[in-house]
Amino acid sequence: MKKGRKHQQSTGARVNGNAQQHGEHESWKKLKLVEIHQALNCDPVDIETLRRAAISEGGLLTDEIRRKVWPKLLSVNVYNLPAKPTKDIRENHKDFNQVLLDVRRSMKRFPRGMRVDERQVLQEQLIDIILVVLQKNPALHYYQGYHDIVVTFLLVVGERMAIAMVETLSNHHLRDFMDPTMDSTKHILNYLMPILEQVDPQLHDFMLRAEVGTIFALSWLITWYGHVLSEFRHVLRLYDFFLASHPLMAIYFAAVIVLHREKEVKQTECDMAMVHQLLSKIPQDLPYEELITQAHCLFTRYPPSLLAKRAALQSRKSITINCFKAFQTATQQQRPDSVLRRQLLQGRARGLGGPDSQLVLSRDTQPNQDANQAANQLVKMAVWGISATLGAAALAVAQTALDWAPDFFMQLF
Amino acid sequence: MGSDEAYNFVFKVVLIGESGVGKSNLLSRFTKNEFNHDSRTTIGVEFSTRTIQLKSLIIKAQIWDTAGLERYRAITSAYYRGAVGALLVYDITKHLTYESVERWLKELYDHADPHIVVMLVGNKTDLGSERSVPTEDAKDFAEKNGLLFLETSALESTNVETAFQNVLGEIHRKVSSKEVTRGSISAVSLSSPVPRAAGDPEEKKPCCRNL
Repeated sequence: MKKGRKHQQSTGARVNGNAQQHGEHESWKKLKLVEIHQALNCDPVDIETLRRAAISEGGLLTDEIRRKVWPKLLSVNVYNLPAKPTKDIRENHKDFNQVLLDVRRSMKRFPRGMRVDERQVLQEQLIDIILVVLQKNPALHYYQGYHDIVVTFLLVVGERMAIAMVETLSNHHLRDFMDPTMDSTKHILNYLMPILEQVDPQLHDFMLRAEVGTIFALSWLITWYGHVLSEFRHVLRLYDFFLASHPLMAIYFAAVIVLHREKEVKQTECDMAMVHQLLSKIPQDLPYEELITQAHCLFTRYPPSLLAKRAALQSRKSITINCFKAFQTATQQQRPDSVLRRQLLQGRARGLGGPDSQLVLSRDTQPNQDANQAANQLVKMAVWGISATLGAAALAVAQTALDWAPDFFMQLF
Repeated sequence: MGSDEAYNFVFKVVLIGESGVGKSNLLSRFTKNEFNHDSRTTIGVEFSTRTIQLKSLIIKAQIWDTAGLERYRAITSAYYRGAVGALLVYDITKHLTYESVERWLKELYDHADPHIVVMLVGNKTDLGSERSVPTEDAKDFAEKNGLLFLETSALESTNVETAFQNVLGEIHRKVSSKEVTRGSISAVSLSSPVPRAAGDPEEKKPCCRNL
């Protein structure tokens, strides 16, 4: 992808001189915020820039921005969210007992210091979100660890947006994990060893001799590391990365972790139990930014198609991998939030609105825009024109001031 | 964890049973003397060791904690291979977890050594007022099926040590009384029993150390 160059540019700008490092770091951050901001307001939304921002150093920086960008990465229209689940969702739901059991013992996933009653409300919401998505999608099957994914979204984007995002994610990135059996999940895990083989054949051989298998990475993969990392900010950083990447990126990241611990692994007794124990305990002080860059590079250098050829992995059909291209294409057709909101308001004014009215996402199915919208487009283009001359930061802010929460401005100035 | 200690035997033991019966807490109570009220769901398999002294012998117990949910069974059952002992755990307050014991037993015998030592463990005796599985029922079932039996509380640390000690003791008895045939012994104990040589604490397999 194009991210490498971008990344170098931004880091290059920051390493010049030590004295002003902090200031430059801040200006780099501001620049990134502006970039994200502009990408969000492009029509269609500039999804490539958003992806690059999510992958490159620092990821999406704040939860405020995540609430704006994450839905775009998944083609979710935040002005057409599913309704809040009703309590009857729990009646006769085949997964209720297991979900309840897993959510009750997921206390560690909530921020330390959160009030108990507040956490309990969120835990109830977590149960409902999971049950709603499963009920609406009978082909999806609950797995332990799914709750670790859902809680991450709940804590960042809230209940209704979490339902929409998790539903999309479950039908795409997580789809293989949600089969009735684990066969497809095992298939994805099978990509791990071929990656290691490409980079460090010695390590690969050692692990083969130890017969350690890949189950140590199972919980990493199916929870996107939410189950095993204790710092929520690290989980968020990885979610930025994975939401902007190919669904197999989580397994490339697993490979990068193993490679990072290469010395430790090779010094361990060459025994299944010993190596499994070492690897399954994930160090909490991993250099995340470095590893993300590495995983991204490995993915480019050894794409899944190449690994599949070498490792005879292609025999199995992966729904996740097969539907990714279409998914990615769909993300390129999104309207910015300002347009989506206007559509919602107009829909309501015409009496067509309501939470369930289908809002148009893709340009192809978009009815002719009215004069008002066309005028708005013109104004916007004029603003962009000026912004190129007068400096991006100030105008990008002015342009869509209303779209952004106040604390976003505080970060800019 | 104890990998560098000298030991006479390594015994591989698996913890199995339905989701939420307390397998992970039994393990952490035995290996670390810890109990966690919000112990996380086990995904796949986790693993811990503890080295104990049994009479004059030092035994390293290698205990594999498995996920209880049905869908993980295809993965976890692979880890039964080479196990010489198993704790089949149910929750004394949840009858359903007891009803599935038979299924678990079949699963175990399908994948593990036929001479495996199995203990039926009724956990959570601290919740006595909510008991729904009578001790006698479970005891009878265990006797009929040739299983050891004990009720435990990982929370109150009741019988946890005894449960593991009894299982390890019984494995050792079986191995040393040659109740198992020669062929099984090598399948049974992970490394064939090697007496601890003085001045040579290393009993690891040097063959595949990476140099």
